[in-house]
Amino acid sequence: MPLLMITIFGYTFGGSVKNVDVYVVNLDQAPQNESISAAIISNLQSRDTLNIVRIYTTADGVARATDKVQDADIWAAIIFNETFTQDVATASGGSGQPAMIGMTVDGTNPNIVSSISNELLTAIRAVLGQRAFLAPIAVAPNLIYGEDARFIDFFAPGVMGLAAMMVTFMLSIISFVHERSASTLDRLLSTPVTEGEIVTGYALAFGLVGLVQSCVIIGAAIILFDVMIAGNVLLALLVIFILGVGNQGLGFVLSSIAKNEFQAIQFLPLILFPSLLLSGVFWPLEAVPSLLRPVSYFIPLTYAVEGMRSVMIRGWSVDGIWLELLILTAFAIAMLVLSTLGLKRRR
Amino acid sequence: MKRVLEAEENAIRAHALRKEYDALVAVDDLDLGISKGMLYGMIGPNGSGKTTTIKMLVGLLRATSGEAYILGEKTPIKKNIARIGYMPQEMAVYTDLTVHESLELFAELYSIDDEVFAKREENLLKVIDLAERRDSLVSQLSGGMKHRVSLACSLIHDPDVMFLDEPTVGVDPELRVGFWKYFAELKASGKTVVLTTHYMDEAVRCDIVGMMRMGSLIGEGTPKDLMASTATSDLESAFMALSKKVSA
Repeated sequence: MPLLMITIFGYTFGGSVKNVDVYVVNLDQAPQNESISAAIISNLQSRDTLNIVRIYTTADGVARATDKVQDADIWAAIIFNETFTQDVATASGGSGQPAMIGMTVDGTNPNIVSSISNELLTAIRAVLGQRAFLAPIAVAPNLIYGEDARFIDFFAPGVMGLAAMMVTFMLSIISFVHERSASTLDRLLSTPVTEGEIVTGYALAFGLVGLVQSCVIIGAAIILFDVMIAGNVLLALLVIFILGVGNQGLGFVLSSIAKNEFQAIQFLPLILFPSLLLSGVFWPLEAVPSLLRPVSYFIPLTYAVEGMRSVMIRGWSVDGIWLELLILTAFAIAMLVLSTLGLKRRR
Repeated sequence: MKRVLEAEENAIRAHALRKEYDALVAVDDLDLGISKGMLYGMIGPNGSGKTTTIKMLVGLLRATSGEAYILGEKTPIKKNIARIGYMPQEMAVYTDLTVHESLELFAELYSIDDEVFAKREENLLKVIDLAERRDSLVSQLSGGMKHRVSLACSLIHDPDVMFLDEPTVGVDPELRVGFWKYFAELKASGKTVVLTTHYMDEAVRCDIVGMMRMGSLIGEGTPKDLMASTATSDLESAFMALSKKVSA
């Protein structure tokens, strides 16, 4: 367990953002071998911070790329206009007006926004060399979401999800281990109450506890820190409730392995650490090393965090987070079914 | 082992009931026939298979082989589950609830009417002598009192067949007499009571005693018959004699 913890921690903590999906719209008319935009794009592609998924070279590419940003399929659209190289030459000559690189960006995650901006600046310096200090190129960001978002706005949804997850998981595993060791579970199973009813009852109760916990957190976040809530807060709480139900089920399933409460507690770091470090709570998934990133997609909290950020910062409704809701619901159902089967098999 | 009461209508029937845990045989091809209205006492040392047998009959453990029927339904029973009561050997009570709330919880689980519950609660609290502690948290009670609450929770729904695992543990002698009087009343009203006990002097009050050792029934019969067949004057000596016979 300690080895697992330090390994995950060491690999993920302070990891730099990599493979941020972006589109490029290059309308620059300059010949390829003279094109500054082509050189900048080539420089960006030589590093792994940005992943240029697609390059459009026609005007309709602007709208298409912007739509992709709006749908959160990519983080940014980097746009070079028709006269970019010419504008750079003019600016280098001391016109005082820099050439502009347009950047339509999803501002949900300040880390990502600054990573994209920094990468562009690095590429500009690399291409222009000494001329870069004349500032002939400027980046004009246009935030689609999260305008004025601070780090706490990015952070709060993750903390809410984490709190709900921990509370429901711990309550569930400890309660159930206690029920087993005190034989109150045996007594319950000798009554007309079915295994499914026991599991569902626990799920609803602890899901509600997680929900209340999150209401307190979000209340405090709004009152004390003026955290951004662009969408419907009830939808965010629904995400939390479903996450809580699923984690309660997970606690239930793992309780069958633990013989007592002491052993049960030892499952907490196994669940907590990967969730804390790999699900996008503190830093974006793009900062998780590629070796570990597949693990992120198996952690329910990843989807809860993404769903809540989409609601709280992007202002999305159900149709925007349907996938996250579906995955979390499927996880909750799977855990409840496994829990019920585990109880039946016990007999 | 000859089955007692073969011709009688049985509330509980078990044939070749067996439970294995890897190499350990906890219950070894057990046959049981317990008729309605009988008070059946299962005695034996720790690890003899009493609790495992009870749990298989209640449906909490799956038998490795063999079968059991409660009230004509094969275990684990579903249709007649509300007609059986089970008191585990462990405390098995929720310490955050009061005595009243504990009984109320189980009354709800068995869908007992409020009025019926009120009457039964009053009666049971008298039997277990906890009427004055009705509103006390279970956590505030002594171990023996908690055990009594556990007994009451298993009887609140007035089951037809009761499985009581060590119901008199931690109970003072005076109250134990009261309990046995109550068991006799239950039996007289046609209920079937199966209990386990370490107290040989209590087992004498049972209609039929089943003596278990190392997962097997080494003797079964009325206390008088068991003592007569082993030429002993008490059940403890009868048990020792039968154990020696089996070991030989």
